[in-house]
Amino acid sequence: MSSGPPDIARLIARVALRDRRAFRDLYERTSAKLFGVTLRILRDRAEAEEALQEVYVKVWQRADRYVAGGYSPISWLVAVARNHCLDLLRARKPAAADLEAAGEVADSGPTPEQASIDRSERDRIEACLAALEADKADCVRGAYLDGFSYDELATRHGVPLNTMRTWLRRSLIKLRECLSA
Amino acid sequence: MSREGESEAGEGDRVLVAEYALGLLDAGEHAALARRIAAEPALAAELGLWQARLASLDAEFAEVLPPGRTLPAIERRLFGAPAPRSGWWDSLPLWRGLAGAGLVVAMLAVGFNLLQPPRPDPQLLARQLVAALSEQGSDVSVVALFDPATGSLRLTALSGPSVPDRDFELWAIKGSAAPVSMGIIPAMTRSDIRLSPDVLDGFGEGTVLAISLEPRGGSPSGSPTGPIVAKGAATPI
Repeated sequence: MSSGPPDIARLIARVALRDRRAFRDLYERTSAKLFGVTLRILRDRAEAEEALQEVYVKVWQRADRYVAGGYSPISWLVAVARNHCLDLLRARKPAAADLEAAGEVADSGPTPEQASIDRSERDRIEACLAALEADKADCVRGAYLDGFSYDELATRHGVPLNTMRTWLRRSLIKLRECLSA
Repeated sequence: MSREGESEAGEGDRVLVAEYALGLLDAGEHAALARRIAAEPALAAELGLWQARLASLDAEFAEVLPPGRTLPAIERRLFGAPAPRSGWWDSLPLWRGLAGAGLVVAMLAVGFNLLQPPRPDPQLLARQLVAALSEQGSDVSVVALFDPATGSLRLTALSGPSVPDRDFELWAIKGSAAPVSMGIIPAMTRSDIRLSPDVLDGFGEGTVLAISLEPRGGSPSGSPTGPIVAKGAATPI
């Protein structure tokens, strides 16, 4: 075989071609990271293990949707794991009672944004998060990294649910402005 | 209640997409927005921006070694036990052998959304294809495998909508030479393409494969006329 370990993008490409050995290699290279994701979001070891299995089943089934040069390959895998966990959490929760409060959004089409992301630019989110008030930045991190819902964030920060929604939406607008500045 | 007051056009959608990317929407809202994102390239681009930026937080997920039983459990779920070898495609010894023999794989990034429902307006779809291509994370990929023994190219399913009155045409570009057509390729199904002597001559590492959207039946001029929806260079595995 080639010298040196094949990189993750190449392993994903070979998994797309139904190469089982590549699948095993990919698992060995990436499962600790993805288990870290499922464990952190689901906060239950048995559920996190089960979810990890389901995530790799999806990776096998969807490997041919990975696009080299778009996402970094590990970010793509993290996204598969994270989205799977969030699906599980959403399925568990009854629909929020105050959906109407959440549903007020403009329906007009926004200007298309050029979303070509330079790798060096990606660290910008750290700077932009730092520009938010500390507890607001915590909420963004908590939603992304821990899968916290508005409810959980409101409880953790000791504010009413609607206050949390308002806070976080304003923060997201600021964050968006900073990210595209 | 918690409204933002006077939003300029698009701001509400931007917030909604950010909430979607963070996972803050409930199941119903999430599914509804997913359908809009599939249909509206501007929303898909907005999502791509958030996903790419937020991904830099991924480093904060600590690695935790899963138990040893997990991989065998996954392989049982996927392959049953013992794993059947269904044809040469799944044969590992063959893979290893072919890899040594200079097998070539190309990654083709195909720029359209898998969930796109068929549209009546080909002009609109063509624009969407192009728009989606410039945006990250939501594309579909095709992988092409060249088998030098048979001189054929095997493509994984080109998943995506068929475009009314349009066909996808595959091209080989060798160095600075003009693209050579490799024919029309079907959507939604794996396909084998036998390379013509023209294409085979000099085909190998560095050859660029591209897929363009063409009038039904293929390019009338013999050169790509439509937008390139996918492109990738052949590399050895």
